[in-house]
Amino acid sequence: MSSIFTDPAFWHRLQFAFTITFHYLFPQFTMGLAWFIVYWKWKALRTGEEKYNEAARFWAKIFGLNFAVGVVTGIPMEFQFGTNWADFSRYAGGVIGQTLAMEGMFSFFLESAFVGALIWGEKRLGPRYHFLTAVAVATGSWLSGYFIIATNGFMQYPVGYEVAANGSLGVASFGAFLLNPWTIIQFCHNQTAALVTGAFVVAALGAFYTLRGVHPKQAKLYLNAGTLVGLIASMITAFPSGDQQAKMVGHHQPVTLAAMEGKFHGGEMAGVAVIGQPNVKEQRLDNAIEVPGALSFLAYGTFESYVHGLDEYPPEDWPDNIELLYYSFHLMITLGTIFILLMAVANFQRFRGRLDTSTWLLWVLALAFPFPYIANTLGWMTTELGRQPWLVYGLFHTKDGYSKLVSNGDTIFTLIGFTGLYFVLGLLFLFLVGREIYHGPDDDGPHDDLGSEPAL
Amino acid sequence: MNATWYVIVSFMLIVYVVLDGRNFGVGMLHWLVAKTAAERRQVIEAVRPLLSWDEVWLISFGGTLFAVFPNVLASSFSGYYLALFLILWCLVLRGMAIEVGGHINDRLWQGFWDFVFVVSSFLLAVLFGAAGGNVARGVPIDPQGNFTMAFFTNFGVRGKVGLLDWYTVSVAVAAVVTLAAHGATYLTLKTEGPVHDRSAAYASKLWLALCPLGVILSIETWYVRPGLPAQAMQNPFSWLGIVVIVVSAITLISGLQKKLEYRAFMGSSFLIAGVLGTGGSALFPVMLYSTLDPANSLTAYTSASSPDSLVVALIWWPIAFVLTVGYFIFVSRRYAGKVSVAPENQTSH
Repeated sequence: MSSIFTDPAFWHRLQFAFTITFHYLFPQFTMGLAWFIVYWKWKALRTGEEKYNEAARFWAKIFGLNFAVGVVTGIPMEFQFGTNWADFSRYAGGVIGQTLAMEGMFSFFLESAFVGALIWGEKRLGPRYHFLTAVAVATGSWLSGYFIIATNGFMQYPVGYEVAANGSLGVASFGAFLLNPWTIIQFCHNQTAALVTGAFVVAALGAFYTLRGVHPKQAKLYLNAGTLVGLIASMITAFPSGDQQAKMVGHHQPVTLAAMEGKFHGGEMAGVAVIGQPNVKEQRLDNAIEVPGALSFLAYGTFESYVHGLDEYPPEDWPDNIELLYYSFHLMITLGTIFILLMAVANFQRFRGRLDTSTWLLWVLALAFPFPYIANTLGWMTTELGRQPWLVYGLFHTKDGYSKLVSNGDTIFTLIGFTGLYFVLGLLFLFLVGREIYHGPDDDGPHDDLGSEPAL
Repeated sequence: MNATWYVIVSFMLIVYVVLDGRNFGVGMLHWLVAKTAAERRQVIEAVRPLLSWDEVWLISFGGTLFAVFPNVLASSFSGYYLALFLILWCLVLRGMAIEVGGHINDRLWQGFWDFVFVVSSFLLAVLFGAAGGNVARGVPIDPQGNFTMAFFTNFGVRGKVGLLDWYTVSVAVAAVVTLAAHGATYLTLKTEGPVHDRSAAYASKLWLALCPLGVILSIETWYVRPGLPAQAMQNPFSWLGIVVIVVSAITLISGLQKKLEYRAFMGSSFLIAGVLGTGGSALFPVMLYSTLDPANSLTAYTSASSPDSLVVALIWWPIAFVLTVGYFIFVSRRYAGKVSVAPENQTSH
């Protein structure tokens, strides 16, 4: 009996997908939040108003919890390349190992040196150095994002490589590899999306405190910053960064774009389906309501442009789960559109000075924060499902990449282990963040290190 | 070029063992040196600020190994599959124990996380020790460069070996004692009061216990890998390593006797580095020895990335390393000095 459950690649993929999805819940938030903390530290430095320091101090604690979980769930990611994807590591390690190593050396050392100082060193460092610490942490987290996306960018659109004598890949042009156009566009798209997550969480807490009638001064700060950044970031995530990302997929992975849009047959005036269900067996989009010509325009610039269909490519080159890919992509777009609308309304009310009295809107804002996490996850599902059946696009198949000597039993065992461990970790995280939120931002001045001698 | 990378990768692993090893040691001794709740917090505070910094060395080591010796990473990580996941899970639990333990000032909460800290630190010392033993003894690598291993087979050290046998278990025991001694030396440096005094007592006893263990282990290693000593003699780096071992052992002993805590800790750190460095140079150029057929062994020459990749990595690595040294100066100045017992009501944050 052959099914996906007996296919080792399925379990290796599932474990990587699960552990990376859980892990990325934390960095996407810290990468977004980091700049809020920088902004508040800067305002505090300029105005000398204590409320900005209070905001930075409170969110630094939330940052710290997210950072801690991000670190512990991040360590297994790198090691899984070796444990679960040994043949892929042998093949591409000379290239993608570079960026993974650079992430550790350039950004993690920076972050781990300064996160502690950000949370615990306010008194000792003084306002100026504490602000610089916030900048260092934010820079470190975005650098780390860049190296990871450079790794993914290579897997999506390999450039700057050479094939060595033994068939493995090496770096031929370091500049081309590091400044891969795919990487740059995807980085912009991903980072603005991380800012959306950060902004929605900040705004949600502001709305929550306003509804409860507690911490009014702080709540206003969160609402103002959260809604403003939320609007700008969600607009840039859609245009130009998301738009560019889709165009890039259209150019370099036309079969992926066809699958994302459920285009089984190529043609001019290709439409974008607002509603529709891909029917892979019959090779058509069921119950489709399409905007004619929209896909031609979005992908190639004119309504008449020819958009390739899946039928132009051999089925073995199709992404192997077209339905999931299609739904991930479309749901991400839907959510992204709703984010823009919601934040536009919120900013409209804010400019009229009515945001903190619009109870209905505050409820929506307070409850909306999980959705950017979902949208970010869906975006990555689109990216990674769309890359299939390749690990390195056009060069190396996914089915060739996993560790051949690791048994299915081993992989299922470790997958179950991760599920249990991360479930507990998730509960613990929610419990501790909940406590911080319940306790709220009004504390008694800056924290300081326990016990150690003044050194700076 | 390949030799340079062998040295760099070994260096990174050694730095990790020296830095995080002290945390494992502190974890294992936690219940023994700290008796009251406040003392337990004091011990945690001695390791908490630097924990993620120390772990980054492991991540950076893994990444660099991936970039320059992908075949070694692929074979060893997939071969040690379950053992490696145990290590990863212990690292997750240890990290959480340290991070969240202090969040709530409650006896049961902190007691529970102390328990997690102690158990995971102990398991990590055992697992890393056994892994080190496996590298020294060799693993059953097939002609394709792969291997797969049971946790144990017949406890023998030749042919189809398992993760645990009499040799790797003795290395694990030695690792537990060494790291506990290292941790005790670190606590002596970082704490004051009763914790300091107990740590100092443990440090002397544990280092003393290590003398016979070291001799036994050397004889065992000589039996398991008869060719190693001769190989070591030919490598000038081994001689350098032996000089480091002798000098740092003297430094450690004099530091312990004269109660010069910083000197003792430096001696302890360099002693561990010297032992690992000597081992590394004795093994060179073999990175993973095959117990089935030495011809299957993975070496720095047969399992490296393409020459161009090695050159590229040699461009960014020194830059990153200089920056890292800069951060290290910041970090170590920031957290210099002793951790004292905090008054009861200030331990929560």
